Amino acid sequence: MTEGQPGIWPPPAGGSDLAALLARVARGDQAAFAMVYDRAAGQVFGLVLRVVRDPAQSEEVTQEVMLEVWRSASRFDPHRGSATAWLMTLAHRRAVDRVRSGLAAAQREARAAVAETDYDVVAEEVETRLDAQRVRRCLDSLTDLQRESVTLAYYGGYTYREVAGLLGVAVGTVKTRMRDGLIRLRDCLGAGA
Amino acid sequence: MRLRREVPHTLAGAYALDALTDRDRARFERHLAGCDACRQEAASLREAAARLPAASAVQPPGRLREQVLAEAARTRQQPPFTADGLAGAGRRAYNWRAPRMAVAIAGGCMLVALVLGGLFISTQHRLSQDQAHSRSIAAVLNAPDATIMSARAAAGGTATVVMSHRDHALVLTTARLPALTAGRRYQVWLMGLHRVRAAGMLPAPRQGMTAPMVVSGLAPGDAVALTVESAGGASSPSSAPVVMIVLPS
Repeated sequence: MTEGQPGIWPPPAGGSDLAALLARVARGDQAAFAMVYDRAAGQVFGLVLRVVRDPAQSEEVTQEVMLEVWRSASRFDPHRGSATAWLMTLAHRRAVDRVRSGLAAAQREARAAVAETDYDVVAEEVETRLDAQRVRRCLDSLTDLQRESVTLAYYGGYTYREVAGLLGVAVGTVKTRMRDGLIRLRDCLGAGA
Repeated sequence: MRLRREVPHTLAGAYALDALTDRDRARFERHLAGCDACRQEAASLREAAARLPAASAVQPPGRLREQVLAEAARTRQQPPFTADGLAGAGRRAYNWRAPRMAVAIAGGCMLVALVLGGLFISTQHRLSQDQAHSRSIAAVLNAPDATIMSARAAAGGTATVVMSHRDHALVLTTARLPALTAGRRYQVWLMGLHRVRAAGMLPAPRQGMTAPMVVSGLAPGDAVALTVESAGGASSPSSAPVVMIVLPS
């Protein structure tokens, strides 16, 4: 794909810092990588956990994601999107790949006997907390059907056809809802950022 | 609302949510490649989706941080994408009566990783005996400019190299080369434009495959070749190579 326009979207607070850190990571800076980890691991793990469910596998996938960040930081192109989007896309694809591969289901059974681990919700800094609230509020501003379509796809790892099946609506309707839902989310987040 | 036609554009939301099958995604990305506005919209929706995890952050266990940082410290990084790329370097004419061969050039870390995995599995017994050897192999295979090439020998069998100009080295492995009579061995040569250097004897095969062999001192313009020599090795090739790989400069 060719380059997109820079500044398609205002990056989230601190986003440019993450981009600067990634540039350092690309040059092999391990201290910068530790900072990226501290900034992103909570969101990555929380996301993976919601998609994959199984805690042990979620840790595995999180580790894969963070190592992928280390390996391929040089491939992050700030002209094509924010550092957050690059990183979360990477995390989400890995998580979805895991559940779609069927590996997740098999291992979930194998580990059913293992006691569930309790994880602390991230000790949020004020900024992070505000960001989380804003996202929740914006998600609430979607219509029920938009929100359902978006979250089933994003957290359930389902394809839009599967989502259509689950919701019992036409495939075209689901596509439209996903797009409209994200547009509304985008505009809501953009206005509040 | 009813949509009767498949409008690729409406997939932008599903795309941003990774809710497409691989096939649908490939198709949509082709669509994006030819549509600036769609690409911008897809990117903006991707940004919106990427904000969702902010609402569900969960702290992973502390040990994961240590594991990840330790693993990163021993993991080589990928080079950035560049216009000239890793692969596709042209073949150079080489002034030698080489046997007919097929040379395939491939590049990229994925392939190297596959070879790395394959080689390591096939030769684990050997590597565990020789850590330094294993490290020098890993260095070449993981080099940012690592390029893999393979050639078929006219008499049967293949030779595969992973080479790195940065490391001035290559890793050579062969499969199913014709067995030789007692007292004869395959010898490896680096053939430059101006001189030919002996690069050691090919290890004896196990189940038809030879363990990876590191050849250092690689220079731009070199080709790597195998000839059949007496078991003690020769100071210069005594016959035409059974296989030769012209390396990209």
